[in-house]
Amino acid sequence: MKFWITRLISIAVAIGGCMLLQSLAGRMNDYQQRLIILIGLYVTLSVSLNLINGITGQFSIGHAAFYQVGAYLTGYITVNYFAKQPVHGVWWLVLMVLVGGIGAAVAGLIVGLPSLRLRGDYLAIVTLGFGEIIRIIVQNQKALGGSYGMNVAPKYQPIALVWLLAILCIAVCRNLLKTAHGLPFLAVREDEVASSAMGVNVTGVKVTAFMLGSAFAGAAGALLAHFEGFITPTTFGMDVSFIILTMVVLGGTGSITGSVIAATLLAYLPEYLRGLKDASGATLQVSGSLVVAWMIAVAIAVSLMRWVITHHHGQKLQRVGMLVGALFAGVVVRYLSGFLLDKIPALSGRLIPIDQVRMVIFAIVLIVLMLLRPQGIFAHHEFSWSWLKRLFTRQPVPQTAVSA
Amino acid sequence: MDVLHLVAGVDFNTLPQQLVNGLLLGAIYALIALGYTMVYGVLRLINFAHGEVYMLGAYVALFVSYFFGFRPDSVHPTQSSVMNLLIMLLASMVICSLVGITIERFAYRPMRSHSRIASLITAIGVSLLLQYGGALFLPNSPPPSISEKVNPYSGQSKDFTLAKPSPALLEQARQAEPAAAQAKAALDTYLKSHPDENLFNLSAEGKVLRTAAQDAERKEADLKRQAESGGVKLIIQTGQATMLLSTVVLMGLLTYMVLFTKAGRAMRAVAHDFDSASLMGINVNTIVTFTFILGSSLAGAAAMMTATFLGTPLTTFYGLVPGVKAFVAAVLGGIGNIPGAVLGGLLMGLAENMVVWLGYSNYRDAIAFVVLIVVLLFKPGGLMGSAKVEKV
Repeated sequence: MKFWITRLISIAVAIGGCMLLQSLAGRMNDYQQRLIILIGLYVTLSVSLNLINGITGQFSIGHAAFYQVGAYLTGYITVNYFAKQPVHGVWWLVLMVLVGGIGAAVAGLIVGLPSLRLRGDYLAIVTLGFGEIIRIIVQNQKALGGSYGMNVAPKYQPIALVWLLAILCIAVCRNLLKTAHGLPFLAVREDEVASSAMGVNVTGVKVTAFMLGSAFAGAAGALLAHFEGFITPTTFGMDVSFIILTMVVLGGTGSITGSVIAATLLAYLPEYLRGLKDASGATLQVSGSLVVAWMIAVAIAVSLMRWVITHHHGQKLQRVGMLVGALFAGVVVRYLSGFLLDKIPALSGRLIPIDQVRMVIFAIVLIVLMLLRPQGIFAHHEFSWSWLKRLFTRQPVPQTAVSA
Repeated sequence: MDVLHLVAGVDFNTLPQQLVNGLLLGAIYALIALGYTMVYGVLRLINFAHGEVYMLGAYVALFVSYFFGFRPDSVHPTQSSVMNLLIMLLASMVICSLVGITIERFAYRPMRSHSRIASLITAIGVSLLLQYGGALFLPNSPPPSISEKVNPYSGQSKDFTLAKPSPALLEQARQAEPAAAQAKAALDTYLKSHPDENLFNLSAEGKVLRTAAQDAERKEADLKRQAESGGVKLIIQTGQATMLLSTVVLMGLLTYMVLFTKAGRAMRAVAHDFDSASLMGINVNTIVTFTFILGSSLAGAAAMMTATFLGTPLTTFYGLVPGVKAFVAAVLGGIGNIPGAVLGGLLMGLAENMVVWLGYSNYRDAIAFVVLIVVLLFKPGGLMGSAKVEKV
């Protein structure tokens, strides 16, 4: 009884919260509304990829393909059938989200089948390949607008739906981890042979993971298509797949909390960079020497920190001090090398609009993370109330097998 | 309907040319694929950044050609020589080796003790860093391309006639020639004798003459076209031939190094068993560096040749598609297997040109992935790879 009450209250809070967010966002400007929607979509994408990559351990790097399937499928249906049917208003969008999810799930099934035979890096390449094939096929369909893109009308402002989808995605993954249904997924991640010997249906688990993950991506794609009103194949290129991958890896493969936080940060970052203005109101430009100086500084700081992590087994406080020292050394190097590099006219004269640095930052985040903390920021840990309680009361909390 | 279209798009007379083009392209893919396959053989790592090393090689060639005075804005281009090309090739190979060593030392070596997925993510990161970081500093808009004048063979080609057009058709075309000339002459004399008229302002008599002349001319042109399309011609540019020759020489050198030198033997030992090789006194780090030097310099050579002889405009994403295709070639031949990479490269080049030949040139980039997926599903070891499937 208590279980159902909690459940119903949670659902009511989620729906109410999303409605509240929509009405609050109504007063904001277009830029802020767009930001809220994009962050919601990226949270959905990264949590759903986390289900495939982190929880089930199937390394997929073609997630943008499912996003694209959902967007183009529903975009096509809306363009051709919206005027001819009785459902209107926001219910049409809900219907499209379902259709996008189902369509992408079918695509996920098709990609999931080869995953039965492949593991690790081979699987990664195949998912990448599927993504590219889907993109090239879409690019060559006249009905889908080819490489020029497709206009989707009517447009919607689906803030509440976007965040409901994100919350649904989080809830599905969280419940999977908390209940017995999720144990086969974790077992497959840890050891396929052993789990199949224990009676886990490895095939079923993998295909389920692929279908669930891609269904959420497809639903997000449907929302994107109806929010933007215009989609092109380049919206879903390889770089989008890599951005989603960066989010999952940064948060910690397997951690839902990590995925959510990393998605929020990394979806906000490019918009933040684009929002930076110089004195005249144009996009801020930085000199090439500054970028190179930062790169050198990051390299030095990371190598020092790596040395501390691998070679220095002192006290915790001492280690933290040395890591801070490494960071400080990085900052010093940044100013020293910046001063020196400014003398080179080829570098200091080259002005770079700051929003172009976005993908470079993602790339550096990936490399630095792998060098310093390959398990990601949160590793396998999740946010929980007991964890918060422990933080304040310093009482030991019993660990469950799943969270450990 | 689709089948009909497929048949209609096919022109068997262009097949030999497409096969030759495929072979040339395939040789380049093979050169890049060797780098993937050797690194995978030694480290079990997909070197995602290999395509970017290739891209940097093309840029090095571009800068060296600038140094020789072949800038796009240069007014007095000097005459190029083969020496220039050789220097460009060497520069690309050396710089690419250095880049390869650097990437291995600072990105891959620290990851060796971690899981393979961690290494793979690092490789993706390095690849993205070179693509997007390079875009900040290297000239890429408008995309520069290496001047044609660097290539001393530019414009030179050799034609081979594989099948002569049928003599009957040629004869017909020749016979139509005097009739057309006669009709045109008649029209000319008429125009001369009537100075007040021109081609667009003719009396009835003139119009008849004009129609006759046009008809005769069209008939002649039609017959000529028919006769010519009956023949099979093969055009091989001297630059392309040089490219193929250099590729063969480089592959020969590689084979020699891998099979008959001490370092090559050590490399094969490391590829066979990393840990045992190090127990046998092989300095594994040196050998890995050696592998990266070999692979990256081959990529540099391939980049210099494509950028110079094919004249493709350079962006920092120049290596993305060839890199992926070469990787597919390596998997197709059996990754880790050196002859397999060459075979796979040639097959990839041929497959791509066959797709173009069938009239689906829009899908030429998709074929690589289709091949990859089919190979992995039905023969995961590749054509020449071991039958043992990799258990990750």
